[in-house]
Amino acid sequence: MSGSDGPESLVAVITGAASGIGAATAERFRRHGWRTAGIDLRPSDTDLPLRRDVTDAAGLRSAADATIAGFGRIDAAVTAAGYYEEGIDVCDITRRQWDRMLGVILGGTVNTLAAVLPYMMASRSGSIIAISSELALAGSATDLHYVAAKGAVLGLVKSLAAELAGTPIRVNAVAPGPTDTPLLAPDSLWRKPEYLATLPLRRLVRPDEVAATVCYLATEGAMYCGEVLSPNAGAVI
Amino acid sequence: MPAGPAGRPVALVTGAAQGLGHATALRLAADGFSVAVNDISDDGRLAALADRAAGLAVPGDIADPDAVTAMTAAVTARFGRIDALVANAAAMEMGPFLAQDAHAWWRQIEVNLSGHFRLIQAVVPHMRTAGSGRIVLIASGWGVIGHPNATAYAASKAGLIALAKGLGRELGPQGILANAIAPAYIDTEQLRVDASDAGITLDEMRQRYRDLVPTGQLATTDDIAAAVAFLAGPGGSAFVGQVLQPNGGVTRTRA
Repeated sequence: MSGSDGPESLVAVITGAASGIGAATAERFRRHGWRTAGIDLRPSDTDLPLRRDVTDAAGLRSAADATIAGFGRIDAAVTAAGYYEEGIDVCDITRRQWDRMLGVILGGTVNTLAAVLPYMMASRSGSIIAISSELALAGSATDLHYVAAKGAVLGLVKSLAAELAGTPIRVNAVAPGPTDTPLLAPDSLWRKPEYLATLPLRRLVRPDEVAATVCYLATEGAMYCGEVLSPNAGAVI
Repeated sequence: MPAGPAGRPVALVTGAAQGLGHATALRLAADGFSVAVNDISDDGRLAALADRAAGLAVPGDIADPDAVTAMTAAVTARFGRIDALVANAAAMEMGPFLAQDAHAWWRQIEVNLSGHFRLIQAVVPHMRTAGSGRIVLIASGWGVIGHPNATAYAASKAGLIALAKGLGRELGPQGILANAIAPAYIDTEQLRVDASDAGITLDEMRQRYRDLVPTGQLATTDDIAAAVAFLAGPGGSAFVGQVLQPNGGVTRTRA
């Protein structure tokens, strides 16, 4: 847990690092001696805050370049950037809403992977961890665009994992249950006592529980290949 | 009251004399647990391991209900608590389904599935008293995707997976979190047995197994012990009824 400034310490790139799961993940990596580059629209509490929009592929390439310039390596990439919209009937989801959701969640993940993979390929090591959602496994009503985007991330992860299986680079996903972050509005369906009562753990997942799963995958997860780990309070079993 | 160092959580690991169970006991001890270690008998290895794991040796056949009762009582008498149970002991005897001797077939179910069922029944009341607990069932990739000539073993391990899911739903609301792990090819002493059975060298056996894994790697016992430690430790607190599959993609590519 020491030596965070030493040349040997590991480096994580985290998107969506300014809040919620991304912020908790950055905080946990730093506590374990990693250096962190935080990609977000807003400044993040990381060693290298990089203000970028994940839909901007060139911006993400420059963020990966800046991370290498600053730290010399990228050992893990975590794609947590995203947003959530609920309570929209399928017929009412506009083309604009659909495109933006796919652009940020799926496109943002693709852009991040494309930016960091050349460096991981060159060093022949690395762990990629995409944040998906239990909704991608179980399906859900009134947030179809979000669920479709998170499901697409799982297809991407499994296929990229297969493509890279012969290399030392590992690609996996974490599919949290409803997590207590600013993404869930105060009146969100997922915060209602009637919903929480259906969960085996009877509560929302905490961001630090998702972060712990990410760090486990990044540090001791060499045998996971295209897996989906589910810290979900029992939402999907 | 706890006889061990005050406040140290207590784990019980079955099948701990060698291989994965042995590595798991040492990992949990390193993470701060006092570890009670079980195997069917003790030729001295179990007692030696208990010394290294701040724990207690509780040898006994988990397929024997009386032995299960006795080992649970021994652990609680010594430590006053059981915080984590790692169900790792397993019997395996491969053979074509129609040629399998019924006794051998059912022995695998008795040890791997029914034995752990009874052990869970014995341990859960102590976890309920504490209001928390972790149960980690060591299943197998073969329990997920099946394997020729291993019907009993695969059935027992698939049973453990279903048990983790059912227990997750039933005990989760009480703070007792049950999950399973499905490894596939691990570099353990068993490989020597497999090589001998196949009439090839150990290195040839390793390569034969590597060829079955998309990542081309055999798991180390430490890889799987780390998964157990994660589920049994503070980081695993949102996992319930899940099946971790640290097997290099063996199950993902076929299931």
